[in-house]
Amino acid sequence: MRRRIPQLVCGLFGLVTFLCYFSSHPIARKIYLTVTLDYWQIIFAFTLIVGALSFVRVNLRAVERGEDRPYKIVSLIGVVLMPILALIWGIRGGSPFMWVFENIQVPMQATVFSLLAFFVASASYRGFRARSLQAAILLGAALLILISRSSIGDLIWDRIPEAAEWVRSNPAMSARRAILIGIGLGSLTTSVRVLVGIERTWLGGEK
Amino acid sequence: MKRLESRHWVFIGLFLVVLLSMLLQVDLGVEVSSDTTRLFDYIENLPPGSTIMISFDHEASSLPEIRPLALAVLRHAFARNQRLVGVALLAEGTGIGYRLMEQVGKEYGKVYGEDYVFLGFKPQYIAAMLSMGESIRQTFPEDYLGRSYDSLPMLQGVRNYDQIAGVISIADGSLTTHWIEYAGNQYGVRVSAAVAAAMVTTYDPYLASGQLHAMIGGLRGAAEYEQLIHQGGSGLRGMLAQTTAHMYVILMILIGNVVYFRGRRKRGEG
Repeated sequence: MRRRIPQLVCGLFGLVTFLCYFSSHPIARKIYLTVTLDYWQIIFAFTLIVGALSFVRVNLRAVERGEDRPYKIVSLIGVVLMPILALIWGIRGGSPFMWVFENIQVPMQATVFSLLAFFVASASYRGFRARSLQAAILLGAALLILISRSSIGDLIWDRIPEAAEWVRSNPAMSARRAILIGIGLGSLTTSVRVLVGIERTWLGGEK
Repeated sequence: MKRLESRHWVFIGLFLVVLLSMLLQVDLGVEVSSDTTRLFDYIENLPPGSTIMISFDHEASSLPEIRPLALAVLRHAFARNQRLVGVALLAEGTGIGYRLMEQVGKEYGKVYGEDYVFLGFKPQYIAAMLSMGESIRQTFPEDYLGRSYDSLPMLQGVRNYDQIAGVISIADGSLTTHWIEYAGNQYGVRVSAAVAAAMVTTYDPYLASGQLHAMIGGLRGAAEYEQLIHQGGSGLRGMLAQTTAHMYVILMILIGNVVYFRGRRKRGEG
């Protein structure tokens, strides 16, 4: 019964929302918008609480065990401090919350993201090898795109941007479309399996 | 002292290349692509006073790339006297979006509430997009500064997407896809995008199918746009650093392959 009721609720809501999505009848529109706008936000608020509590619990345990203690303490300070700043002074421009965001979080995130450039440079030296014909084609396409995205592509040869555009519009786009269609079909299949109760792993516990 | 390995030399080389490029401040200029021209023409040809929604759908990590894109688009829109409604569907885009709109608004002498507004952040982006299709006022009863929707003169008469000329999603991830799927397909609003370079190929199919009206991508896209609006910015300034960094990566690939093939020949494999 503990598994049957959530399954029924999920199946019912999934089916109703799915049918209402394709209907322009006022009642169907109202149901669809109520589910997506109100229920969704309420569920999101609860998941946020679950996520925050779980984060605190996992990090507290790690601190107790002494695993990466300084990092875990900084994480915990962050998760406690930011809501306090937001609750006392608000989140508008110029508030302490925004000061921390703009002067600590933004530079830190940009720094971590920028480090990728160094790893890409290192990986390009160590790993990007023309070991086979396929690898050589991939390498050629990568070099072409890299040159085209810089300022000197058109100076080297005025048809480089055109060639790069061809790569983007043909092989790259074909592959992308195939991936998108694959994702779409996969999502559809999984959704149907969840709705009819074949897929039950989301309920946790027994298989 | 620990001996430096080859990867450390690669890191040091890249650091020096980028540092020197940033210090040189040479404006290389770029050839403007058709994609960039399309977005430029779109904003250029909208009747002055049209309402455009700018959605800051990005995180702080991509700011060095996103900022020049956003500034170029905002400058063009303000220069054309368009009215801008800013929103953020990712929490981190909220503060950044407001600051950018405020900065460019001041540059062009625009008045908050009359020429532009920033409605702030709404969690659950799909729900927010759908909700705005029914009523923007209900979705954002107050703006980012806490003023009520009805007290903002610019928003009088703006009920839903029907009064919005188009949405421009400034994104570093897949959020633009949802704008296309929900706001574009369901409510018929015209969606354009300014995205990080890594996302360009993701949106190419949507651009080709016409579901995405126009798109500019990456630092190069920002540099091209700055060239079109005749206003240099961090896009054009950063192009030298991007160009030299790309050349450096190409050089590393070539050196790596030379070393690889020489090693193979020595081992008698090639």
